Amino acid sequence: MKRAFFPKLFFWLHVRHVRRHPGRAVAVVLGVAIGAAVFTSVRLAMRASLDSFSRSMDAVTGAADRVVIRPGDFVPEEWVARLLARDEVASAAPFLSAYVQDEDQRSSPFLLIGIDPFLDASFRTWSRAGDSRAGWDLVTRPFTLLMTEKLARLLDRSVGDEIRLRHPRGTAAFRIAGILDKEGTGALEGGLAAVADIATFQEFTGLSGWVDRIDLKLRHPGSSRDIEALRRLLPRDLVLERPGSGKAAGQGLLRAYAANLSVLSFVSLFVGMFLIYSLVALNAASRRRETAVLLSLGATSRSVFLLFVTEGLFYGLLGWFLALPLGLPLVRWMVEGVGRTVSVLFVRVAPEDLVLSPWELAVSLVGTLVVSALAAVQPAAEAMKVSPKEAMALSAGRERHGDAGRGPVVPALALIASVWGLSRLPPAGGTAYGGYAATFALFVGFSLLSPYVLRRLGRSSAPALKRVFGPAAYLAGRSVARSGTRVAVSVGSLLTAVALFVALTIMVHSFRNTVNAWVHQTVSGDLFASPRLNEMNRHRNIFSSDQVALLKALASRADLVPFRRFYLQYRNLPYQFEVTDFAAWFPHSGYLWVEGDPASARRSLLEGTGCVVSEVFANKIGLSVGERFRDRIAGVELDLPIVGVIRDYRSQGGVVFFSLPRFREMRLAAGLLTQDEEWSGVRFFVREDRADRAGVLNRIKRTLVEKFGDRVSFIEGNELRDRILRIFDETFAITFVLLFIALVVAALGIATTLAVSVLERSVELNTLSALGGSAAQIRSMIGWEAALLVAAGEVLGLLCGLALSVLLVYGINRQSFGWTFIYEVNGATFLWALPLIFGAALAASFPVVRLALRQSPAALLREL
Amino acid sequence: MTSRPSPASKPLIVARDLSRIYHAGKTRVVGLDHVDLEVGAGEMVVLKGVSGSGKSTLLALLAGLDRPTSGMLHVAGLDLLKASSTALTHFRRRKVGMVFQSFNLLPTLTVLENVCLPGLLAGDSESEVRRRARAWIERMGLGSRMHHLPGELSGGEMQRTAIARALINDPPILLADEPTGNLDSDNGGIVVRLLADLNRSHGRTVVMATHGDLADAFATRIVRLRDGRMV
Ligand SMILES: Nc1ncnc2c1ncn2[C@@H]1O[C@H](COP(=O)(O)OP(=O)(O)OP(=O)(O)O)[C@@H](O)[C@H]1O
Ligand SMILES: [Mg+2]
Repeated sequence: MKRAFFPKLFFWLHVRHVRRHPGRAVAVVLGVAIGAAVFTSVRLAMRASLDSFSRSMDAVTGAADRVVIRPGDFVPEEWVARLLARDEVASAAPFLSAYVQDEDQRSSPFLLIGIDPFLDASFRTWSRAGDSRAGWDLVTRPFTLLMTEKLARLLDRSVGDEIRLRHPRGTAAFRIAGILDKEGTGALEGGLAAVADIATFQEFTGLSGWVDRIDLKLRHPGSSRDIEALRRLLPRDLVLERPGSGKAAGQGLLRAYAANLSVLSFVSLFVGMFLIYSLVALNAASRRRETAVLLSLGATSRSVFLLFVTEGLFYGLLGWFLALPLGLPLVRWMVEGVGRTVSVLFVRVAPEDLVLSPWELAVSLVGTLVVSALAAVQPAAEAMKVSPKEAMALSAGRERHGDAGRGPVVPALALIASVWGLSRLPPAGGTAYGGYAATFALFVGFSLLSPYVLRRLGRSSAPALKRVFGPAAYLAGRSVARSGTRVAVSVGSLLTAVALFVALTIMVHSFRNTVNAWVHQTVSGDLFASPRLNEMNRHRNIFSSDQVALLKALASRADLVPFRRFYLQYRNLPYQFEVTDFAAWFPHSGYLWVEGDPASARRSLLEGTGCVVSEVFANKIGLSVGERFRDRIAGVELDLPIVGVIRDYRSQGGVVFFSLPRFREMRLAAGLLTQDEEWSGVRFFVREDRADRAGVLNRIKRTLVEKFGDRVSFIEGNELRDRILRIFDETFAITFVLLFIALVVAALGIATTLAVSVLERSVELNTLSALGGSAAQIRSMIGWEAALLVAAGEVLGLLCGLALSVLLVYGINRQSFGWTFIYEVNGATFLWALPLIFGAALAASFPVVRLALRQSPAALLREL
Repeated sequence: MTSRPSPASKPLIVARDLSRIYHAGKTRVVGLDHVDLEVGAGEMVVLKGVSGSGKSTLLALLAGLDRPTSGMLHVAGLDLLKASSTALTHFRRRKVGMVFQSFNLLPTLTVLENVCLPGLLAGDSESEVRRRARAWIERMGLGSRMHHLPGELSGGEMQRTAIARALINDPPILLADEPTGNLDSDNGGIVVRLLADLNRSHGRTVVMATHGDLADAFATRIVRLRDGRMV
């Protein structure tokens, strides 16, 4: 066959066929379109968040070759001059940043950056729009700043206006000296940022003499000798590192989340694949004779194969094009939802509205086409095997309906068995590829099992159905028992969606219950107080000495548990190092232990002879009980045995806990203690024996407000715990939307499958009618078939979902985020949800039941 | 088999001025054109005519599978023009048995199950239906095929199964549309002789459409159709 002839043949045989049966094709294309739309919009939304994060980080990082930092602490400013004096260094610039908020709270907290405008020029472009002498005003006039246009608009200010900003150390008035150029800095924090001179910044934040970090440009960036020389120059607690490690760490966190959402959204596309499968298979079967004729006329079997694969691709392509308009509103919603979730959970992002990344579009197009072609391969291969001789047989138009056999039970079981091995493959770059492969192995394995299950189900239920519900139900049972692989595999679409539902419900339930337990055990306390905006500023600020004194005075009313937290990195994993006063804390609460002996671990925490790490830290770093945690934090060299692994669900990495008194001693010994107590936060526990708890809390709160005004913020424990749980629930909103969409596609799948099986069996249905079957009997038969198919889908889906939930809780979550939960099945939910899904899927098949009687039974006499 | 149809005082089938006109889009196709026909109980009528002459159309009307456009049609005492769909279903269950050119056995049911089917659909007790079915299958010489699926049978065996199926509810009338059309002449001969025997020794009224002349020898009457009209 000539190549040019192929499109024509495809048009003749396929497009015309579609025109005759537009309904099915529309359903299938719609299903694929929904799947592709979900997949594409999730990818685009994730990309928007990732881009926003990268741009922001790049804007901050600038053009530095190396940066000097002091983990957990500030860098003495004098090092700027000392480094500038070195031959190896071409330029050096200090950098400071903090989240501040305007007094009227028109804007959410935004990033204020402190720089030396002149030294900084070779690192970043802070140009004021339309002004090249950007920094001059900042330096010559104290308490001036430049801000982005977006921020100015939010604050309702313009150049020359005054704005009062709040920081834990106080409030100050700034004059807006200009608007920042959109390029470079506009990207910062999604355009919510301002820049001030370093001296102004230090005065405002009380950090005179200190900087966050020093950016360096080297004369010979490649020279390891130069770098070694600089390392030797720096004291041990100053670290010279590559810039952008924060970016890599943040991206690491985001990537795991991105992979999770991508896979979840891909399931809808995967479910759409079953739709394509069932339609191509139907077309292949109903055009069997046509195929035989083609072959007898000289077509090669390869071109027949191609013809049907092209048909799959055709549906995929149509679906993808339809996905674009369908996806647009979805993308908007996703960009916002994903952006919010990412900001709350991982890193602050402000994704732009919608960037139609060509790369993501290509990924979704290729994904859709690959899935579509794969779906068509099996039916195409079947069609290829048609013998040209069938063209001669008079009534060979009909498929030989033999016993459908057991179906591919062995490959199915092999696939399901492979799940264990796959899920144990180590993750690559924080992405649980093995776990995801295992997920799809489960889906496909269980789908392949469905012919066998249908056979058993149909056979075993048929006699009972006959006895209880009469011959129509019996016929349905028989027909289901012998339904070929085609019908069976399309049970897969429902199965997949139900499995996803079951697994996600169990996972989220277990997750939530564990988080709930954690929140009540570990995030305990009646009142939490810290310097203002400290959470956003990564606990960089500590209470001043007089604040500490007052807090101690309040301890007569309630137990006071002080702590200090550092935000650090351990081999690319962001983690928090938290020191707390265990002697005060343990009487009130405790940890949820995963590993280690709680009693002895508690003892060594009290003594300060060991530390406990969170499960996330242990899993991501690969350290566990008995091994040692080594790091240099705020100038203190730590080398501690890990005495326990505990649950912790902070999403920004791992946590290491250690004794606050012991840490203070170490700081003291190293001559680093800046004041008697360095606390970045405290918790109050109202004593159990106090009758008037609410009164005590209120008095403490009143005192805090009176003495500290807006420099200290506090939140009641209950409120904090509620907030954590609320954030948790919001986080899973997207998950459940994706799940719902998968269920919709699956319902579409069941309806199409049934429609296909009804249309395909019109002869059979008409025969029944001719033999005395009443309309009610025939409808009831189709109804029963639908019920049996849906039941099989649900039972298999339930089993598959149980397996998947274990995989999710212990495999994928552990590999992606490092945490596991206490596994718990919420049976009660399934008691109402599974019947509901059953009803919905059945309702989706109602139109099909009507379809069954559309044709006059007299057509029988015209059938060949 | 339990009861033989009693000789009716009236003819079993009465058609007067019977027409069936198909509308395919704008075109109007005459399937049957003012046909008058009376068939008495115990007759064996063979419908003949070239392809497209209206044989299947007439049979579909007689079987209650289709409704006439105009005219009058009484079969086994039922006015098929006015009958409700419930009455038609009952009619199809009890009054007529159908045999098709392409057998139309349900592929997922065994021979025995296929034969039982109309009895079960009609709501008869299962053991009773089974008993009747076994007897008919034996009579058709298919005793050893009882539990085979249609896919495993030869064409002749399939058609004999279909005949047994048509007889399971003991209808007075047997309608067959080209029952030998998909069979070789040997098997065709067997099927025609079976139908003739049912007519002769069991008193069934048989109306069959055929191109061939295998049945001519057994026919009590031959009706010829051309362009939907009796000639
Ligand atoms: N459903 C229909 N729609 C339109 N026209 C029809 C339909 N059924 C039959 N006809 C037309 O009615 C006429 C009679 O057809 P019928 O099938 O009764 O012929 P037949 O004698 O059975 O032919 P054959 O020997 O080929 O089976 C034909 O012209 C046919 O095209
Ligand atoms: Mg005909």
